[in-house]
Amino acid sequence: MGGETITRKKKKFAKEPNFTEKKTYRPEGVKETGLAFIGHEISEDGNTMNQFLHYDQLYTIRHGWNSKFFKGLLEGKIWGTKCPKCGDTWVPVRTHCWNLDCNLEKTEWVEMPLTAKVHTWTIAGWSGRSSLKRLPIVLVYAVIGDSKVAIANELHGIDSWDAEFGMPLKIVFKPKGERSGIITDFHFEPTNDWKPSPTNEEKERIKQLVEPVYEWVKTLK
Amino acid sequence: MPRKVCIVGGATTPFDYGPTGFESIEGGAAECIKETQKDIPDFSMRDLDLMIYSHFSVHFGHQLCSEWIIHDHLGLVGVPHYRVENGGNTGGSALYAASLAVMSGHHDAVGVVGWETMDSVSQSQGSEFIALASDIRYELLVGGIYPIYYAAMANKWMKDNNVSEEDVATIGAKNRNNAMDNPKAQWYRNEHKYITADDVMNSRLISYPIKKYDCCLMSRGVAFVLVCSEEYAKKINPDGYVTIDGMGLSSCTIRAGDRLNFPGWTERYGKGYPGMTEFGACRNAADQAYKMAGIKNPRKEIDFGEIHDAFSTSEAQIYKALYLADENNIAQFLRDESTHMHGEIPMNPGGGLMGYGHPVGATGLMSTIECFYQLSDMIPKKHLSRKTEVADAECGIVNSHAGTGTSISNFILRRC
Repeated sequence: MGGETITRKKKKFAKEPNFTEKKTYRPEGVKETGLAFIGHEISEDGNTMNQFLHYDQLYTIRHGWNSKFFKGLLEGKIWGTKCPKCGDTWVPVRTHCWNLDCNLEKTEWVEMPLTAKVHTWTIAGWSGRSSLKRLPIVLVYAVIGDSKVAIANELHGIDSWDAEFGMPLKIVFKPKGERSGIITDFHFEPTNDWKPSPTNEEKERIKQLVEPVYEWVKTLK
Repeated sequence: MPRKVCIVGGATTPFDYGPTGFESIEGGAAECIKETQKDIPDFSMRDLDLMIYSHFSVHFGHQLCSEWIIHDHLGLVGVPHYRVENGGNTGGSALYAASLAVMSGHHDAVGVVGWETMDSVSQSQGSEFIALASDIRYELLVGGIYPIYYAAMANKWMKDNNVSEEDVATIGAKNRNNAMDNPKAQWYRNEHKYITADDVMNSRLISYPIKKYDCCLMSRGVAFVLVCSEEYAKKINPDGYVTIDGMGLSSCTIRAGDRLNFPGWTERYGKGYPGMTEFGACRNAADQAYKMAGIKNPRKEIDFGEIHDAFSTSEAQIYKALYLADENNIAQFLRDESTHMHGEIPMNPGGGLMGYGHPVGATGLMSTIECFYQLSDMIPKKHLSRKTEVADAECGIVNSHAGTGTSISNFILRRC
């Protein structure tokens, strides 16, 4: 009795990647400790107890078929995808067309121009823990090139109250050494020929709302 | 014909950020069921033949499958159970699942328990956790919190519909002031004050045009709703049950920017309702619910609603999606205070997410319970006064809403 040796080659659906470039941007002091109970507190009357659970976990986001977009960011390029059937183009990308008439047609990669147009905008005076020190942030949904959809990213290089619907934008990348293949490797800026419209009631109102945010950020350690 | 679906009872724990006295989720669920039994003494736990658990995020719960802990605690071992998760529409989706179970004839008495324990982490960390429900590859790093995505949508929507910051500020004040009549509401339990639209206007900027008092609260809380067949309802609460006469559930894109040009938009939502600033899924879910309930003129036929006011701006957007107003009259609809307690169709008399609170998995159930109380004459018993009672209400709408309008459900409830 014994196991039969299988000589037939295993079916593989894709070539296994061999990762040769590896970089880490891990901030100082971040450790993978896993799950740990690290303390507790008990109320004065002894009736209520809280316990502190610490969870620090590294995740691997496997970009797979979307990799070209994120790798493109490292290279200062914006890649979109285009459906060969209906011709629609998108950034953010989709690897299969979502038009039901195209029946999940595999899309093709196309390099997009580094220009865009604002669809809508907002000025954040509050954000997630990791972004508080950068406030206030102008966030726009903008359409890159002939993309059929809008993408969200920050708008730099203007006073926050000057953001406008429909304003023309250029895409500006961080210096090469500072890019990490994430969406914030680039931001939008107004095109060189764009001039803000004259001040108005709304702009004054926004100034009034934004000024305390600048003051508050100064108090952050 | 599918069977009629009824609601016979339900209750929540107090909602809060921090200690409520109901901190353990299984203990909270038990107390919600006990309160329901006080209202309908004939309801026995032995009647439950399915449990649906409504919980959004393990990040807040720090426990996978925490519904199993609740289920065991309730002594329901052996009764079938599963959890529903659908972002902010988790509660509405759980109610949808429970309704389908009863409608199918397969189950008679379905318990729905919802909860969230958002005070397990700091508020800013909590905001970031919620934003993990955005497409993190593209959106988490460039906004980081949902109010920013909503603000971008609202900014354009308000311009397109001639709605001002002041117009929506009245909603922020209205819901908090309604909550002042509701002892379980987080606003009542904490800030505990009446505010004006000016207070909303003067509160700190979150993301233009949204200020702090335009935003809902982050909460800990548990809720229980008992969904059942009409036969069972007639047995245990013959005079006080409410029927779910219509329901709809629909979806839209996770990234709001993709809404700009989804090729199937008109096919799904009908012509003339495009754009990333509108809640197409809300309109679609309303179409389904109205059709099922035979509602032709919602503004006239619906007496009040408990709807998903994650932001005062989104409450206004929802009014439009529900056909209560259109682009020509939405601003006037707001200025007329049409949805205040003295208005023609009060919205969120229970306080809503801005006043009662928003423990995600419990929220849609809280809205359902408040709607049920109105339709079964229980407001004087559950609220502090009759100020927040919609007198002689016959028909209410419950709305539950997720993502940037990514999943939305609507329910039409009627008095029996």
